[in-house]
Amino acid sequence: MSSEMVFLQSVFDHDLSGEHNDCFCMNQDPEISPHDDQELVARTQGGDPSAFDELVVRYSPRLYGLVYHMTSNHEDTNDLLQDVFAKAYRSICNFRGKSSFYTWLHSIAVNMTINFLKKRNRRQHPSLNDPDSNIENDPDFIAATSNGDPTKEVSAHELQKKLNGAMLKLSHDHRIVVTMFDIQGMPHAEIAKILKVSEGTVRSRLFYAHRQLQNSLHEFKKR
Amino acid sequence: MSHEPMHKIIRLKRYEQPPEDYFENFLREFQHRQRAELLKPSLSALFLERLSGFLAEVRVPAMAYAGATAVAVVAGVAILRQAPPSAKPVSYAAAYASPEAYRQAPVTIERIQPVSLRINAPASSTPPLAFPPAYQLQARPASHESPLSF
Repeated sequence: MSSEMVFLQSVFDHDLSGEHNDCFCMNQDPEISPHDDQELVARTQGGDPSAFDELVVRYSPRLYGLVYHMTSNHEDTNDLLQDVFAKAYRSICNFRGKSSFYTWLHSIAVNMTINFLKKRNRRQHPSLNDPDSNIENDPDFIAATSNGDPTKEVSAHELQKKLNGAMLKLSHDHRIVVTMFDIQGMPHAEIAKILKVSEGTVRSRLFYAHRQLQNSLHEFKKR
Repeated sequence: MSHEPMHKIIRLKRYEQPPEDYFENFLREFQHRQRAELLKPSLSALFLERLSGFLAEVRVPAMAYAGATAVAVVAGVAILRQAPPSAKPVSYAAAYASPEAYRQAPVTIERIQPVSLRINAPASSTPPLAFPPAYQLQARPASHESPLSF
C-alpha cells in the first residue's frame, strides 16, 4: 500500500462525527502542509514539471474519491481526473495563492465533475470498485448489516449497491456535500470554501441529503 | 433529528477503492497524455501555421500594391458619383402655401427673417374653433390647489 493510501486510511479512521469533525483539517497533516504545496506550486510555475508530478501523487487519491463517489463509475473517474490535473497544470500560472492549492484544485474537480454529470444526465452506467475486504471488520458495517442476527446478514456488495443507488438519487449539490463530509471527512468550513457557499448552506444541504438518504436506506436505519 | 447513523453507513463507502496499482499507473498515464498533447498542436495553432506557410509561398508582384490602391480610388470615386442629387429645399412660406411642395421637398426657414409667433395665414384658411382654448380654464380662476383638498 502506498504512503498516500496509508495516510488516507489514517484520515478515515478519525472519528468524523459531530464537533470533532469540524476540528479536522487535512491541510494540518504534517505530510500535506500548505507550505509544501506552495513550494511545489512555485517550482511548477517556474517550469519544473516534476514538482507538479509530486502534486499529482499527493492529491490523486483524494480527488479520485471525490470524483468517484459523485460519478459511481471508475472509468469516468479516471478520465475526469486526468482532465482535472491537465486543466490545473495549464492554469497553474494563474494561481495566485489567494486560497490554498488544495481548495483551488478541489474547486476545479468539483466544477468539472458537476459539468460532466450535467452532460451525462441519465446515462448512468455504474462501474463500481470492489469494497476493501476490511469493510467486514468495520463495527459500523456489522451494526448496519446484521445487528447481531447472522441470518439477516447483508453482503458488502449488496450494501454497496444500495448505498450507490441512494447516492445517485441525490441531486448533484446534495451528493457533493455528502461525499465531502460523510465519505471524505472534510470539515464544513473547507467544503464551504471549495463550493463558494456559506457554511450554513453546507449544513442545510447536508440536513436535507441525510433526510433523503434515510428514506432510501430505511431498512438499515431500523437495524 | 440525529443523522449520526446515516453518517456511519455512508462512511462505509470509503472502502470502495480502485485497484492497488491504480495510482502508480495514474501518474504515468498523466505524463503520457501530457506529452501526447504537446505533440498534437491545437486547431488554432495549426490554422495559423498553415496560413503563415501559405502567405510565405505567395509571391506578390511589386506593382500589385499600386494596382490595388488605384482600384480602391476608382471604386471610391464611382460610389461617390452615384449618390442621388439632393432635392432643392423649399422655403417655409412656399411650403405653407402649397402642401404638395411640403410633402415632396425639405423645408428651409430663411435664416435672416426674425421668428414671429403670429400666424400670417389668411383668416379663411383657419378652421373655426369648436371649443374655447383649454388655457382659459373655462372662465374659472386658476388655482394650484387640488379640487379634492379641503
